[in-house]
Amino acid sequence: MIEVAGLSYFAGARPLLQELDFTVNKNDFVLIFGQNGAGKSTLLKILAGLVPAGKGEVSLNGRNIAGYSKKELATLLSYLPQSDEFGLPILVKDILLAGRYPYRSIFKKPSDRDREIFSAGVERFGLADLLQRNMQTLSGGERKKVLLATAFIQDVPIILLDEPVNFLDPGSTVQLIQMLKSLHQSGKTILVVSHEIEHFFPCANKMLALKNGRLSYFGRKIFSPELFQEIFQVDFQRTFFGGREIIFVNE
Amino acid sequence: MALLLLAFTPFLGITPIDPGRIFQDSANSFIFWHLRVPRTILGFVAGAILALSGLVCQNLFKNNLATPDLLGISSGAAAGAVIALKFKLHLSFLGNGGAYIFSYLGAISAVLFIFMVARLIKNSSLYTFLMSGVAINFFYASVIVFFQYIFDYSDTFSLLRWLMGGISVAGYGEIVFLFCLLVVFLVLVFSFKKEFLLVSAGDDFAQSRGLNVANFRIYSFLGLSFFVGAVVSTCGPIGFIALVVPHVSRSWGKSHYNETVAFTFLLGGSLLVLADLLARTLIPPVDIPVGIVTALLGAPFFLLLLIAQLKKTD
Repeated sequence: MIEVAGLSYFAGARPLLQELDFTVNKNDFVLIFGQNGAGKSTLLKILAGLVPAGKGEVSLNGRNIAGYSKKELATLLSYLPQSDEFGLPILVKDILLAGRYPYRSIFKKPSDRDREIFSAGVERFGLADLLQRNMQTLSGGERKKVLLATAFIQDVPIILLDEPVNFLDPGSTVQLIQMLKSLHQSGKTILVVSHEIEHFFPCANKMLALKNGRLSYFGRKIFSPELFQEIFQVDFQRTFFGGREIIFVNE
Repeated sequence: MALLLLAFTPFLGITPIDPGRIFQDSANSFIFWHLRVPRTILGFVAGAILALSGLVCQNLFKNNLATPDLLGISSGAAAGAVIALKFKLHLSFLGNGGAYIFSYLGAISAVLFIFMVARLIKNSSLYTFLMSGVAINFFYASVIVFFQYIFDYSDTFSLLRWLMGGISVAGYGEIVFLFCLLVVFLVLVFSFKKEFLLVSAGDDFAQSRGLNVANFRIYSFLGLSFFVGAVVSTCGPIGFIALVVPHVSRSWGKSHYNETVAFTFLLGGSLLVLADLLARTLIPPVDIPVGIVTALLGAPFFLLLLIAQLKKTD
């Protein structure tokens, strides 16, 4: 689905990403982690087609990502940035409808399919009471939920998220992760950049570790204390509680 | 409110107008129909265009200080008009002659400069755009000062007066042109609601929903230079409306895009009409340039607004 071959990226002369090779398959849930400045967010933006690759190639369904138009790409993948600030007052309803942008032309009214998937998104994410609210007045958790719903309404097979649970309270974090899990179960391919390894490790089936812009690990999810030690210089431990896998930092 | 203001302002001024005599053949009627009414309408239309340009600019840059003034679009337009005045250049466009074409060329050159710099710098950000705008603003300010310096004394005075902004007008020719532009501007702002909302959520979000943000931004700025150039060539550069009005529209909690646009348009128009009323009645018989009044009122008002907002977030 997404093939990355010899990918490098430079900020001026400084390499941010170096010689990355990996393949993400359909319905993978990939957790991308690494220290601050390791190049995680840059990698995600390159995969989303927002930043051109410096060297190497990123292919989506066998075609170079640079060859897709913005609208074509928006029917295949959805990117949720870290920032959820808005410059203009915007209704939740309007931001949700923005998910249908790649399928609509300027003066065209929403089609039946637009309306159908909009309603499905509102119901699935429990947003009926928020539709007429201003995005700027929502809590952090509600805002993230709405943005994730736009990705669902966008009806794309791939969703890329950059630090989706940053600054969220524990309740909102758990809610958002449940929603991501359910999207994954419905067949979506999900790539998440996050420092919150404890939260995302149990849901992922693959992981990608970056260190100083280089790939330390890509493959099936494994609990490797050595890898976590190499990346974060702390000890991670694993336990099982009620059949659930839990990993945590051993302080 | 805006309608009431438009209806009553033409009756107010140094010469009182008797409402019963405006349809009779009298000096009152002449002042009312040929001076006050066109002036009020021009003030409203120009204020509305400036306020909408501020809203669009601030949204495109996701920066509440970004205005056509700060980005050099207004000073580019003013420099174009000054050059046209100095060399007595006249070109007509859709029946609108005089300095308009040159104002537009000045404004568009500022926009093109900003985009050229952004293209030259790899990984340029919105900050690059803003800083290039600030640089071109200084450049055109110097061009204006240069021409002011080489103008002869009487020309310099009239130029200075024009640069302070004013909406005194006789007749309706320019107003019809500006009014048509305002209608086009409003149609565009409502038609491209989806795009403006996407941009307000950030470039990455918008692009990932299929919007070509770079193209949208350049087309928007070319359009803006068209509208701002028209206002500057007619009224001179009038500051603060583009900065203050969008700020008020957003802070007054309008939650809907359509409401925010409508509120910006009405408030921008009303504010300039009020400022002009003050300008022509404050120190009779002096007609103070309206740009001075908008700056005098706008600066402290903006500071008060900022303080109130800071208190709210504390």
